[in-house]
Amino acid sequence: MTKRGKLEIMRDILLEIYNHHDSIKITPLLRKSNMSSAGFKGYYHELIEKALIKEISHHGNKFISLTEKGHRFLERYRTIINFIEEFEL
Amino acid sequence: MPPPLDFLFPHEIGAQLIYSFVIIFCSLMIYRATKEMYELSSYKGIKYFRMSFLFFAIAYFFRYFINFFLVLFASPEANIFSGYIFLISLFVFMYSSAMAVFYLLYSVMWKKWNHSRQKIYLFSILSAIIAIIGTLFRGIEVSLLLNLIFLIFAFIILLIAYKDSKKKHKEKSLFAIYLLLFIFWVLNVIDILLPKFLQVYQILIYLASISLFMIILYKVLKKAGSD
Repeated sequence: MTKRGKLEIMRDILLEIYNHHDSIKITPLLRKSNMSSAGFKGYYHELIEKALIKEISHHGNKFISLTEKGHRFLERYRTIINFIEEFEL
Repeated sequence: MPPPLDFLFPHEIGAQLIYSFVIIFCSLMIYRATKEMYELSSYKGIKYFRMSFLFFAIAYFFRYFINFFLVLFASPEANIFSGYIFLISLFVFMYSSAMAVFYLLYSVMWKKWNHSRQKIYLFSILSAIIAIIGTLFRGIEVSLLLNLIFLIFAFIILLIAYKDSKKKHKEKSLFAIYLLLFIFWVLNVIDILLPKFLQVYQILIYLASISLFMIILYKVLKKAGSD
């Protein structure tokens, strides 16, 4: 899969969290991502590592939420893609 | 007796200062304008694009430094201390400029070249070799041959990238801009290594180089600034 596809997948995961009022459990997020468990795990850890998402514990349950950087990524996604296309990066 | 300011800043240095300042400003603006996009996406292509303009800024800074030495000391190598600084500046200038060109080429080819850290090391080694040859052998034949080989290499890579581009023909102006950037860059390098060789066309080289950097800056600000 190309890096361009990777950015799209990252956007889709973040968008899914955003559409669930910024709070979703891992299992439904995995289901909605349409990815294999192993593939999802890789992206999940990358998004955590890049501080685009964060884990929040609430009454013993683990929820995923967007960070400020994650929100900014969604806002700037189209600009980033346009820039990559314009400069053939 | 020349006026005090002319003594401190001869006309050549003044022109070089303005020229270098505009190019360094454009390069650093491009680097700064793409910072957030890279921090958000960690996209390798954006990283190499930014690195290219950072190296252009470093190269132009040292280019000005070399000219400063050439004008202030008619023969920098006559004095051992200024001679060493001159040679180090020339080496950094040659190294940074080669790295800038490599990074710009890599930014459009990294996906096809199977991205790996080894390639960056290879670029560093090649740039160091180019810088060593350019610094030690500053004769007209060596300088022209070295830069001609470099330009042909860059042209072939751009041609491959152009053919592989999915854009329509009329939307591929970027490759023409990059090619002109490389041509004028090579002329800049020759102008430094052989100051009298292109003296007549110096102002044209400066204006064309500034125009190219400003076009790229305009395109970057237009794309990076829009949501």
